[in-house]
Amino acid sequence: MSAMSAIFASGPNIGRRGLASWLAGLSAGGRAAVLAVEVLLLLVVWQLVVGVWGLVNPVFFPAPLDIARGFGELVASGSLAANAAISLQAWLIGFALAVVVGIPVGLLMGGSLPVDKVVGPIAWTIYATPTIAYQPLSKAWFGFGIGPVIFLVTVSALFPILLNVAAGMRTTSPSLLRAGRVYGASRFELYRKVFLPSTVPFLFAGLRQAVVLATIGMVVAEMTGSSSGMGALIIKAANTYQTDQAFAAIFVVVIWSVSMTQVVSLVERWTAPWTRKARR
Amino acid sequence: MTTISIEAVNAPPLRRHRRLPDKWAWLLMAVVAGILLVWEAAVSWLHLVPESFLPPPTAVAAAFVELLGRPDFWQAFVFSLQNLAIGLVLAVIVGVIVGLAVGWSPVLRFTVAPFLWLLYSTPKVALAPLFILVLGLGNESKIALVFLLAVFPIILNTMEGAVTVNASLVNAARVYNVNGVALGWKVIFPATLPYSLAGIQRGVALGFTGEVLGEFLGGAGGLGHLLEFAAYQFEMAEAIAMVFVMVIVANLLLALISALRKRLAPWYDDRQVMYGA
Repeated sequence: MSAMSAIFASGPNIGRRGLASWLAGLSAGGRAAVLAVEVLLLLVVWQLVVGVWGLVNPVFFPAPLDIARGFGELVASGSLAANAAISLQAWLIGFALAVVVGIPVGLLMGGSLPVDKVVGPIAWTIYATPTIAYQPLSKAWFGFGIGPVIFLVTVSALFPILLNVAAGMRTTSPSLLRAGRVYGASRFELYRKVFLPSTVPFLFAGLRQAVVLATIGMVVAEMTGSSSGMGALIIKAANTYQTDQAFAAIFVVVIWSVSMTQVVSLVERWTAPWTRKARR
Repeated sequence: MTTISIEAVNAPPLRRHRRLPDKWAWLLMAVVAGILLVWEAAVSWLHLVPESFLPPPTAVAAAFVELLGRPDFWQAFVFSLQNLAIGLVLAVIVGVIVGLAVGWSPVLRFTVAPFLWLLYSTPKVALAPLFILVLGLGNESKIALVFLLAVFPIILNTMEGAVTVNASLVNAARVYNVNGVALGWKVIFPATLPYSLAGIQRGVALGFTGEVLGEFLGGAGGLGHLLEFAAYQFEMAEAIAMVFVMVIVANLLLALISALRKRLAPWYDDRQVMYGA
């Protein structure tokens, strides 16, 4: 999120002029319009380079209209709906498992120093390793199909959630805690009124990270160990040189990843409006 | 999509407990030993799990040692790390240059950054089959995958670093008549460095994913191929040992960059990046 806001930050380049100052002076709507024009321009150039002038082999890099056609084919044949449903199921189950396990363990780590000192290093070691390394094992253990996909989604999403929650608990301001104690807060009240509000921004940061990693895990698992799902669809399309369909399927995965990140941000705004201010 | 690096918050031990690290290290070792013992007991003594499914730690250790003595393992090791290194070096060069340029120029930031941001949040692993289709099964497709996956976190983090360079530093430099390239080299670059390194750290992890995925999909060699093959043959001891190799490699790489970050940017305060960004 902060990089998104960085786009519109003024930055250190003081004393700009010309185009820069014109862009800086635009309203939000004006900026959106400029971006929309840019996107349109990009698509037209892409279509011209690949589709009309044939400068790039369209099998390797299909033109936008071809991709749209590929999307239509996928929808018409029903393979998009079938594969997307399976991916969705695996993703949601895996992500839910990661949340259900990650939050309590993270809270436990943040609340208890011994747990943190023991679970922390182990969790970090697993988290630092790309989850793709566990894929062949999970395939051998859970068989070909949805099992390894759920496993990889869970492992990918679990550690960012767990470690962020633990970090949030631990960085709770000691002066706030002292203030709470001075005013006679009980242990429960401390958790409810001090730890929780300061941990929630970390939780949502972790969830956003988890969405991205879970989607990567899902695609990797489906590409290397499943005959169904979006990843399998992409592989099948690419292997039969139907790259227009492959790109269309990739596009669907991208939309899914981006929109789930937005959903997490929306939930954050509903349930924890104070994080907006704190996190900037 | 943020440099709130939990690495930063977690990694350094709390100063208050600096007296105690030994105690916690012993506790950690005891717990790990306990887990290994339970694992060994469950498999080899109580036979709760078939050994072919989950071999005991002793079998994994034996496979690990055997692996280290095999020339084809070292061949695969060099193959993977070489591709990873080439892809990462390219990604760092391109990522830092593009990141600085986009972060510094408001016009570029406005026109290019939204696309970079979109590409950053795209699960680019989905493009892997296309890379193999275009570039073949050899080194090229893996290097390209490593580059593609690693470059965006580096760009985005560098950009964010360049944007957040303190304006008074820039003004001070201008007062002393430091401009152009000198300004970039003496002020912008050092101020951005910690951000770039944070991006590189994430880029390394993603690049590793790219390399291994490339090997899974188009197996011609490398650690990923070896692991896939061992699991396919149901040589579970060897497969688990291979996973340990990858865990060690990945963690060593990250530790290396952490050390680099401490060495090159000792002034860098993680908390400042967290809250100041």
